[in-house]
Amino acid sequence: MVVDVNAFIGKWPYWPIPSSSEAAVSKFSQWGIDQACICSTRSLFVSWEDGNCESETLSRQHQAELVPFACLGTLETSHRAAGRKHDLRTYRERGFRGIRLYPQHHSYHLLFESFVDEICEQAQVLHLPVLLSLRAIMNWGVPSLDLCDMLAIVERHPRVPWILSGVNYLQEIRSVQLLMRRYPSVNLETSCVMGYEAIQKVVNECGHEQILFGSAAPLQHGRANLEKILHARVSDLAREAILSGNAQRLLGLGNE
Amino acid sequence: MIVDAHVHIGKSTRLQIDVDGEHLVRVADEMGFDKICCTDLTALFYDMHEGNKLLFREMKQFPDRIIGYASLHSTRFGAEALDELDRCANDYGMRGLKIYSTPQMSIAEPATIAILEKTVELGFPILAHATPHECEYLMAAVPECKLMMAHAAAQPFAHGDWNRAIMAAKRFPNLYLETASSTIDTGFLETCVRELGAEKIIFGTDIPLLDPYFQLSKIRDTCIEPDQLQKILGGNVLRLLRPV
Repeated sequence: MVVDVNAFIGKWPYWPIPSSSEAAVSKFSQWGIDQACICSTRSLFVSWEDGNCESETLSRQHQAELVPFACLGTLETSHRAAGRKHDLRTYRERGFRGIRLYPQHHSYHLLFESFVDEICEQAQVLHLPVLLSLRAIMNWGVPSLDLCDMLAIVERHPRVPWILSGVNYLQEIRSVQLLMRRYPSVNLETSCVMGYEAIQKVVNECGHEQILFGSAAPLQHGRANLEKILHARVSDLAREAILSGNAQRLLGLGNE
Repeated sequence: MIVDAHVHIGKSTRLQIDVDGEHLVRVADEMGFDKICCTDLTALFYDMHEGNKLLFREMKQFPDRIIGYASLHSTRFGAEALDELDRCANDYGMRGLKIYSTPQMSIAEPATIAILEKTVELGFPILAHATPHECEYLMAAVPECKLMMAHAAAQPFAHGDWNRAIMAAKRFPNLYLETASSTIDTGFLETCVRELGAEKIIFGTDIPLLDPYFQLSKIRDTCIEPDQLQKILGGNVLRLLRPV
């Protein structure tokens, strides 16, 4: 069983990918991904709420394969939604299993917008995971988040069930490892962890319970991302936990 | 036959690497790589003479597995660098050159031209950690040299822009793209092959910096034809290397 906590649906404006919903679902299966937590790229580039509607609809059509995450952005700067507040209970009631934040795509600062703190406080109470990406994919051409900002928001809200994503460089991994050792609620997602023996090193440093498989498929090659976990020098127990067990526990999958 | 065209050996504190030939050949065995093309990190970032000599020792231990690239820590050492290339080719039996460019000290400058001309004389292909713009400058200066753009622009100094790398490789018949990278964008290889042909794509992993498994998968687990894969995974680089 393979659960991918960081997949996408939707179009990719930079170069062609399998962009129809059916093509994406088919690709997940072809690459060996049984269940994918999705967010629409429309949420990054057009309207986060419109993208959430896409994720919601598609997940209803593919309940066994897809798990929707809601992408949230600013309400304060919206022409339509000024004055409204994020209410995470409504997203949970709509079936979303987690939240994603992309400040680098939505023109806000993670540390200086009150709605971010409000989201974190609600996520902590509701035990709703929050996925925060340094970069959507491992390509230097796409916008990235400052590592220090990521570390600071986690330190500010250490009991949120964090999924830290898009981590690649040694100093990024080392910093996230420090948080993982300090806070059991902090999890590392693997889609951009590409270093030599990197998975093995994280398991040796932090154990396997806070590592979650993610691929950023179909933007990234899902099978290639899976191969590095399948061949990592870790125990079978650790591999199973990374590929599915940890995600199932965190997201409550299979408890419906 | 699988040949990894981009491998590092030796020590680098910055990259947190310390590996010898025995370790790399063990990894190659696990991966099913028949040969690995190595560059010594000391030669690339500190002292060409010391590092290339270290690599020569490793080549002697694994003559059927390790193919040596001469490395230059700078292209601004004039005759000293040219002499070192002669030594690497004729005394050490190395079969290519690795050079490294940064935005702060770009190799796209006149000082590099004599180096390129020397590689033509020696029959060395060049694995250049360089951007598409830098490669275009070099190819325009010495069109007959065989240049492999390391990472195919999927590296930070080139902003990950592999589509730009394809455009550059289209302009110059002797400019090739090498695949090692953290980037595993869907469609990368298919686009390269469609736009350039499989003959211009060269497989590499950048071990021991990067995990080799996802890099082999991003080449193999695609819709590329088997005969094209053979070229990419080894045939092309073997054709370019200085003959033994």
